[in-house]
Amino acid sequence: MKLKFPMRQNPERLRTKYRAGRLVTWLSTGVLMLCVEPFLLVGAFGAGKVDFSKDIQPILARRCFACHGPDKHESNLRFDNRDSVIASAESGARAIVPKESSTSELIRRVSSEDDSIRMPPEGKALTEAEVSLLRRWIDEGAEFSAHWSFQPIRKPLPPVIDEDAWTRHPIDAFVLKQLRDQGLSPAEPARAEVLIRRAYLDVIGLPPSPETARELAASWSDATYERLIDQLLADPALGERWARNWLDVVRFAETNSFERDGGKPNAWKYRDYVIASFTSDKGYDEFIREQLAGDELDQVTPETLTATGFYRLGIWDDEPADPLQARFDEYDDIVSTAGQSFLALTFNCARCHDHKIDPITQKDYYSLVSFFRDVTSYASRSDQRENNQLSVSPKHLTENFERLTDQTKSITRELRRREQNAIAKMPAPDQRATEGPQRKRVLKEKLRQFMEDDDWTKYTSLQAELETAQAELRQLPPIEFVLGLAKCDPIPPTTHVLLRGNPHNPGPDVGPAFPTILGGGSPRVQPPADNARSAGRRRALADWIASPDNWLASRVIVNRIWQYYFGRGLVRSANNFGLMGDSPTHPEILDYLAQELVAHDWSLKAVHRAILLSSTYRMSSSSSADYQAKDPDNRLLSHQTVRRLSAEQLRDSILAVTGELNEQQFGESIYPTLSAEVLASQSRPGSGWGQSSPAEQARRSVYIHVKRSLPVPMLAAFDFPETDISCEARFLTTQPAQALGMLNSAWMQQQSQALANRVRREVGDRLESQARRMLELVQVRLPHAQDIADLLSLTSRLKEQHKLDDVSTSTAMALVALNLNEFAYID
Amino acid sequence: MPQLKRTGSFCRRVRREFLWQSGAGFGAVALTSLLEKDGFFGNCSAAETAPATANPLAPKPPHFAPKAKSIIFLFMYGGPSHIDTFDYKPGMVGMDGKTTQVKTFGRGGHRNQGRIVEPRWKFKQYGECGKWVSELFPHLAGCVDDIAFLQSMTADSPIHGSAMLMMNSGRILSGSPALGSWVNYGLGTVNENLPGFVVMLDPTGGPISGAKNWSSGFMPAIYQGNVLKSQGSPLLDLQPPAQTGRAVQREILDTLRTMNQRHLADRADHHDLAARIASYELAYKMQEHAPESVDLTQEDAATLELYGVNQPKTQDFGRRCLLARRLVERGVRCVQLYSGGAHNDDNWDAHGDLEINHNKHAGATDQPIAALLKDLKRRGMLDSTLVVWGGEFGRQPTAEYQQGSGRDHNSYGFTMWMAGGGIQGGLTIGATDELGSAAVERPLHVKNLHATILQQLGLDPNRLAYFHGGLNQKLVGVEHIDPIREII
Repeated sequence: MKLKFPMRQNPERLRTKYRAGRLVTWLSTGVLMLCVEPFLLVGAFGAGKVDFSKDIQPILARRCFACHGPDKHESNLRFDNRDSVIASAESGARAIVPKESSTSELIRRVSSEDDSIRMPPEGKALTEAEVSLLRRWIDEGAEFSAHWSFQPIRKPLPPVIDEDAWTRHPIDAFVLKQLRDQGLSPAEPARAEVLIRRAYLDVIGLPPSPETARELAASWSDATYERLIDQLLADPALGERWARNWLDVVRFAETNSFERDGGKPNAWKYRDYVIASFTSDKGYDEFIREQLAGDELDQVTPETLTATGFYRLGIWDDEPADPLQARFDEYDDIVSTAGQSFLALTFNCARCHDHKIDPITQKDYYSLVSFFRDVTSYASRSDQRENNQLSVSPKHLTENFERLTDQTKSITRELRRREQNAIAKMPAPDQRATEGPQRKRVLKEKLRQFMEDDDWTKYTSLQAELETAQAELRQLPPIEFVLGLAKCDPIPPTTHVLLRGNPHNPGPDVGPAFPTILGGGSPRVQPPADNARSAGRRRALADWIASPDNWLASRVIVNRIWQYYFGRGLVRSANNFGLMGDSPTHPEILDYLAQELVAHDWSLKAVHRAILLSSTYRMSSSSSADYQAKDPDNRLLSHQTVRRLSAEQLRDSILAVTGELNEQQFGESIYPTLSAEVLASQSRPGSGWGQSSPAEQARRSVYIHVKRSLPVPMLAAFDFPETDISCEARFLTTQPAQALGMLNSAWMQQQSQALANRVRREVGDRLESQARRMLELVQVRLPHAQDIADLLSLTSRLKEQHKLDDVSTSTAMALVALNLNEFAYID
Repeated sequence: MPQLKRTGSFCRRVRREFLWQSGAGFGAVALTSLLEKDGFFGNCSAAETAPATANPLAPKPPHFAPKAKSIIFLFMYGGPSHIDTFDYKPGMVGMDGKTTQVKTFGRGGHRNQGRIVEPRWKFKQYGECGKWVSELFPHLAGCVDDIAFLQSMTADSPIHGSAMLMMNSGRILSGSPALGSWVNYGLGTVNENLPGFVVMLDPTGGPISGAKNWSSGFMPAIYQGNVLKSQGSPLLDLQPPAQTGRAVQREILDTLRTMNQRHLADRADHHDLAARIASYELAYKMQEHAPESVDLTQEDAATLELYGVNQPKTQDFGRRCLLARRLVERGVRCVQLYSGGAHNDDNWDAHGDLEINHNKHAGATDQPIAALLKDLKRRGMLDSTLVVWGGEFGRQPTAEYQQGSGRDHNSYGFTMWMAGGGIQGGLTIGATDELGSAAVERPLHVKNLHATILQQLGLDPNRLAYFHGGLNQKLVGVEHIDPIREII
């Protein structure tokens, strides 16, 4: 069964949507924003006034709040409140005396060498740089201001810089300003061949063919590059690359975890929904609304219902020890995931008590739970579909289907009840056997002898009824289901603050309310109509998040996009914009792009395009020792970053280079063949893992079935994320298991053979031609003579000393080519 | 500076700094410095500038002087019955078949009464401590003076899925790192040729939830458990395909290295590129060392006999226990062995016939486990190796079905034991009621067990933390948890 999402806008219009009006926006913001204070880089880099939100608050939050913060105020002192810290303590000392760092107790304590006096008592002492920042801030008056992300988006004015031939986009002006302030300058532009490959891998996740790259490089100009970018942005493969990034964030998986790790039917349709949304450049506001309230929108469509699969992707224990606790674990999964995905706030930390660091109260947390309170549990053990499988077929078909399904369910229940009565009389080993795959056999052999005659007659007639109903069901045209909110609770129970997070210990009532720190207030929710299927609260939340006035939604998503183009976000902690998160390296760019996003009807491609066309993105990745010393983390973006391919980029690139890649889009997930030794880790080896044809297995990695208890080694070794929780950024490890898989796995053997076959087909048997072609395919540039010579020298050793035949020799060359660093990294 | 003071800060900030340092990925810098030790990068300029501090697997100083260097966790999957093994209930003798009022909670739900199944094995006293042990464990009974029995264990769930996760990761929900991941995160590895966290499965299959039980959760995969096979090539994709062979692979690696080094030459500041080159050499070394660690031909006949490697009944588990010792000898931090796999009577989950089930699993493991303790002791390794025995829960005193001796799960009270690694032997801590249905004296939680394990390894369980999802996550959770002080 196939679900197609119509492109609701034609591609041409889309392109104009994200291309139009950029310049106008820059200029108008420029005019409007004359009074905005410039962002200055201080702290580690010296000069300028200390920025409380960026430089001081993080120190206080991380090092002081645990005992003197919003949650605990030991010695009556809380460093989130100015009045408290400048007041005299019982001892007479004042933690902070504005303008007098030398008499401030804080400075005395954090700089003391005496362990009994030094603060904080646990952990490392503050660094000299931190202490010096605190001193300067106190001497400047110790002013407090709100945390950067708890303030409305500013409209930063791109700085005007003398002798600036580099800036193409305001992004560049902001970057250049910070570089110049530190006496640095941006790296040279990357060479055409480097940039072409980088853009391909970043935008669509696949390398260009050498022919395409050569052709583009031959007529290299800004216009050529811009054309290339527009072409890539219109490529349907973009959806496949970027969907995977979103799937990380929303903890996408297709099974439930726990003992049975049962499948989530039609989870793949949610994955396809994301791919189609990104390809068609659906407005991000709409994308938010559909996922949070796709069943409550003015226009509900199969597509918007599929989006509600968002709620059904998490882990689910089909046999919880404490069902009420498990229910609230489900709500917690939703609040955590939604909070981190859309707002980059860790509301989950306020489940048991007020957030220790961020100004988020426990009441805020349960007010959010209240928004989601009509979301039913994923399923019940006796019915694993009812709550999560939504029919999107025409009504009359659905009704017939439901009637018959209900009928078969009730007959089955009755049959089972009678079976269980009989089973209870059987010997224990038989009883035990009926709980597993042996049930049928035991029933067939023994049921009759443990049933009374009457009972048996009734039992057999029920069996006949069941067969009839099932036959009728089979006659129906197929019903199309999606994974989502199939059932809601239109009048949800009252939500309470749960004391210490314990659902058996309810505290005061709460209703849906927006987090205080983001403005607070209660939503206007219409009381549900008599025939309502849901409570209408999620719509209110979705509208609030997806509003241009929301401070976080737009910043959070532009930061995520940035992250995949530079290897890290402007805010590194992409899921945590709170006080424990990182400060933005370039807050102006974050706010600038956030506004651009909203100004372009939430077109994500507008943001992609702005970044891709910037000089900043186009820089070379090479840097000097001097720069390394001045800015070892490249926070100032003096150059691009060498980035390892993600698991999917790597696997897909291999398939592209060997010529095996099957570009078929959408549909049910695929199952790469796993070795017996991998399957042996399961309690039922092979269970829940299907078989796909070789052609299917050669599809892009985003289509690989995600089974929580059975990670695919190739993906896992290259840091495929933990699926049970939102993943903001993948780890990038380098470890020998990767090398072993890349050299020895059956899959890599196949792929190197495929590459050898391909080049033999294309350039014939001459080894030198083969070497040249292989290198060209993996490096996407003219091969260096030395590289060719190295491969040829390998071939002669293999043939002469190891007596390998031509085919094995080519395959060995191919294996080398596919393992080159140059292939595994984006330069 | 004592490590104690660094922990909080390490977990809050440095983790992210690992990730992004110099644009190099997590672990990239790491490997460079690992290989440096071998002089591999002697002629490579990149390594000279590689900061050695950021290696996530480098041996790390513990919080305080450790008693144990390694842990061997003998996981009796399915849940052995405590009252049939180590928790002697003389009061139940003669009560078989009697209905009694007792609150139980297992797979079959909550019940208030049940038919007593009298313990099916006779008990005898052993050792100087006089510990009562059932006849299921004649060999192990000889080691009781080295063992501390925890007879009042409790867990949060009597259901396999969540209970396994609890025993392995401290939480009933999946997504958190396993104990072995925490240990490697806290202490690093001292042998880069072998994984620091090794899992050996039962020949019948993995436990339910499979790899979830040794997942590194929200930590990088470098800390996850690696399944090691006790026969054949021990690690996944370790050896080149037969038609390639190691000599050809060496040629391939040499060519690859030459080409990668040339590529690196004008990118000398990119440590992750250098690290990737190094990782291939490390892989090659693992090909040599990993098989050696599982090569039992190096063991003498008496040792093989001690472990029961030459008897069909004990052959498999004996082999794995012996491998566990060899791995610990080679610096592996955490080895987990599953006794039992798959479903039903392939593991200790005795719902049907208790006697058949427990005779089988105790029979397969008694001699090997005793051998492991004796072997470690005679080699002077027991003091530095913590051995933990137990399942995800115990079993009920009453019958699950109307007929038969099968027992349902019991997380209200059960027995586990610890030996070696600074644990005081010959002790019994806590007690269950006269039926063994619930812990009544000195109740211990799985978290206390975890805290004790970390403590013995020199890690403060209440400080070993990892920043994730806005919180400093700990194996033992947010509340302060005490180790079991009586046994250490």
